[in-house]
Parts: sequence; structure tokens; C-alpha cells
Amino acid sequence: MSRLPLDRWVAIVLFAAAGLTPLVVRDVFILDSVILILLWGALSAAWNVAGGYAGQVSLGHAAFFGIGTYAAALMSARGQNPWLGLAIGIGLSVGAGAMIGYLSNRLKGPYFALSTIAFAEVLKIVASRWRGFTAGSEGVPVPFRPGFATLGLGHVAWVYLILAAALLAYGLQVYLERSRVGYQLAGVREDEDAAEALGIATRRRKVQAIVASAALTSLGGSLWAQYVGFVDPSHVFSIDLSVRFALNSIIGGMGTALGPFLGSVLITTLETYLRATFSGAKAGFTGIYLIIYGVVLILIVRFAPEGVTGIAARWRTRRDRAHA
Amino acid sequence: MLTLESVTKRFGGLTAVRAVSLEVRRGDLLGIIGPNGAGKTTLFNVIAGYYRPEEGRIVFEGRDVTGLPAHAISRLGLTRTFQIVKPFGNLSVADNVMIGALTRLQRVRDARVEAERVIALCGLGPHAAARARALPIGLRKRLEVARALATRPRLLLLDEVMAGLNPSELTGIIDLVRRVHAEGVTLIVIEHVMAAMMRLAQRIVMLHHGEKIAEGTPQEIAHDRRVIDAYLGDEFNLAEA
Repeated sequence: MSRLPLDRWVAIVLFAAAGLTPLVVRDVFILDSVILILLWGALSAAWNVAGGYAGQVSLGHAAFFGIGTYAAALMSARGQNPWLGLAIGIGLSVGAGAMIGYLSNRLKGPYFALSTIAFAEVLKIVASRWRGFTAGSEGVPVPFRPGFATLGLGHVAWVYLILAAALLAYGLQVYLERSRVGYQLAGVREDEDAAEALGIATRRRKVQAIVASAALTSLGGSLWAQYVGFVDPSHVFSIDLSVRFALNSIIGGMGTALGPFLGSVLITTLETYLRATFSGAKAGFTGIYLIIYGVVLILIVRFAPEGVTGIAARWRTRRDRAHA
Repeated sequence: MLTLESVTKRFGGLTAVRAVSLEVRRGDLLGIIGPNGAGKTTLFNVIAGYYRPEEGRIVFEGRDVTGLPAHAISRLGLTRTFQIVKPFGNLSVADNVMIGALTRLQRVRDARVEAERVIALCGLGPHAAARARALPIGLRKRLEVARALATRPRLLLLDEVMAGLNPSELTGIIDLVRRVHAEGVTLIVIEHVMAAMMRLAQRIVMLHHGEKIAEGTPQEIAHDRRVIDAYLGDEFNLAEA
């Protein structure tokens, strides 16, 4: 298997390290960090399916995330099975994804992104105002009911469950890099007119990508709600989250399977570290991570617009040329 | 093979294509000429399903394809290249052509093999691994043809694949068009390079202000008064061409 490309190796090491962590340490802070890195990575990978592979750059993926969180949380809060909630969330997100994909089909680039923002904002308002159903802006606490069926798990179990979700998201991306559908999506991303001339049903392919991306995002949202234990509309439907999904991919490398996870390692670690450092007496500095976030983004966009995996690819090309 | 019955395409008050009728038979190599703005590319856009005509009917191999989306028409075996080339810029030449081959083939491995064949046919072999956007214009024009060919069209519309090429590139692409035609692909070619057109085409149609004003063999066209007035400006000397 020495022919396996470098980025696949890095992914294997990354996922293996995550899987081995609970065997070595039981420190809750570290396990929590691993869970969040994997989860934000998986969610960004879900975003990447539409944004990176199909070129449908959305800034409203919090919509699908929020649907997933509410579906699980409301079921749990009513004493029902959160897995059922997770499935319902996926169903609703598939519907919402198909709708937004279909309605926004003719919109390109920033116009598409704006329409997705609007969509997430609408859902935020609905969730905040529909008090009888969602408890409004107070949010929904998720009762902790121990057991796999009720998704009341310890940190170790969460690591493995989220790892499974991350592998699912990674696997979908790898599929898109090797399959007929994936190549056709790349064609759609690069040039829709040319893709049409080659017999690719561009509209259908785009909607399919958005739907798959939405379903996976919703799944991540449901897991997040059960893990964190509290859902409130101003957070789960926020543009901050949408931007975070996009940013991990952009920083790591859009349209690459490893990119979202690399981005998540960088950003989540940075954020966790800064939050821990500037807590307590220095709590006033908590927001500094946003500034650093911004600086990192500017540097990436200016000097490595193809993200971290792009830098690696450039190095390799240079090395190959030197050898040739 | 392809029949246009009085096809009209308007943009607001402007009639870009006016009541054009056309008959293309299997094995034809039909040229379309005309001054800028005559409606040549619009006609291609209408035939290939990018624009829906306001009036008229387009029949391809006995099937009414008027108003079908471009991808559906491509699947029927009618595809086109773009005057302003549209490569999948971030992908390799091999991947570009392979995506074309995936139109007919379900398996990526098969498409890869088919793409290699088409790439060799189009003389792009040494550039298969290059990023499409890094190619010079001559090779990008070839890539347009290669990608379209990979879909195994029965009728291929070539929109100015010779424009902007230097003489040696021109010879190469004329050669390629001939080879494609020899493989059994029926061609409609838009071109401004009259010398090439005279040598290549079996029949030529002249468009002017969206209307078909002349049709005939290259010899007939070269001596047609209307063609000379509207386009050539002077009698085209076939001996020089």
C-alpha cells in the first residue's frame, strides 16, 4: 500500500490517533478536545461536499445543523428516542436541502451564499418565535439519560461515535474523488455550460450534492445536541457556525477529503487553547481567538488560497520538478 | 440527421436567428460562415439546447429535440464545443476528457481508458497530466474537441476551433477535424478562417443578420454575389486558398 498518497496517510494517522486517545488518557479536557476536533471536522467535511466538491459555497449550513439539533433535542426532551430525532432531522434537512438547492439553482457564487444565509436566518427566527413547539429563545435542555439508545454517553463512547461519523464524512468525500458522480460534480463546479455539453444534468447533480451535504450536517447537529446537552436558536442557527463549517475547509483545503479535518485540527485546537488560557481573571480576552482566527484566515487566503493541503501539493510538485 | 424547420430566436427586440431552415445529412461536413453578430453561435446555442427557440422545430435523428435541456441533447449524441473555450481549469487534461467519456461509460476505469484513446487521437498525449488552465490556447482548443469527442457524439458542433491559432497550430487542428470526420462524426463547423473552410467543408451556409442568405458548395459560395457583398468583400480566390 505504499502507493497510497500522502494525504490519505495523514488521514489514517489522524483518525488512528483519535481512536487511540481514550486508551491512553482519560482526561476529560483532552477527550472533549478530540471529540470537538472530529465533530467540527466531520461537519466541515459535510459542508465540503457541497462547497468544495460541487462548488456550491453555502454560508447557511447552520440551517441543517440547527434542524438536526432541534430534532434530536426535542425528541429527547419529550422522553422519546433521540435516534429517531436524528433520523427525522435528516429527513427534514434532505427536504430543506432539496428546496434550497432547487430554488437557488440559478444563483451563482456570492448570490447563492447570500440565499443560504437568508434561509438559516429564517429558521433561526422560526425557532425563536415558535415558543409552543421549540421553547423559543430559552432553548431546549437535553436530559441526560444514560445508554446508547438514548444517546447519553460517556466521553470515551462519544469519541468513538463521533469518530464513526467523521469516517462516514471522510468516506463520502473519498467517494467523490474517485466515482463517476464525483468527477461529474467537479465538472459542474469548474464550468456548468461545459458540463451540460458533456451530458451532465448539472441542476440535478447540484441538488444531490446539497442534499447529501445537508443530511450529513443534520446528523452532526443531532450528535452535537446530545453531546453538549443544550440547544438554543441563536447559537445553532448562527452565521458563526455556518462560517466555521466553511472556514475549516477553506483553511484546510476546499475540495479535498483531508482539508476539513486539518482545518478543524488547527482552528479547534487554537480556539480551545486560547479559551483555556484566557479564562477566569483574564476572561475579558476570550474574544481574542476571534482576532487570531481572522488573522489566520487573511494569511491563508493571501498566501495559500488552496489551503494547507494546497501548500503540501505545491511542495511536492516543486520537489518532483527538482528530481526530474 | 438534423433538420431545422424555420427556427427563430429573439432576445427582446433583437432577432438573432430568423427563420433558419437547415438539413444536415449523416456524414456531412457543413460549414457556417457569416460576419460577427450574424447569429452563428446563437444558432449553435439553439441547436445544442442552451437557448429555446421562439419559433420552429429542431429534429435530431427523427426526434423532436426543441426545448430539451443541453445535457439531454448531448446524451442523444449531439454535442458542441465553445468558441470561448471552457476547460475544467483546475483539472488535468486527462480528467477533463475522462469526464466527457463518463457520459457514455458508467465505470471510471473504462472512462480513463477511453480518455487515453481520445487524448492520443487529438495529439494531447504529452499534456495529459497538465492542468487544463496551464495549456496555451492552441492546446485548449484541442482539449475542447477532445472532451466533446469523448462523449462519442454522432453530430458535433465546432464553434471556431481555429480562431486565434498560429499557422502550425492551424494545420494541426484542420488535420484533427479531418480525422474526426473520417471516424464517422458528422460535423457542423463555424469558422472565420475562410481558407480552412474552403478546404474542409463539403457545403457552406452563410448567415447574415440572423438569416440564411446562401447555401452551397465552397465554389458556389465563393462566387455568390450576396456572400461577397456581406462577408468576403472580394471574390474569394480558391486557387490561393
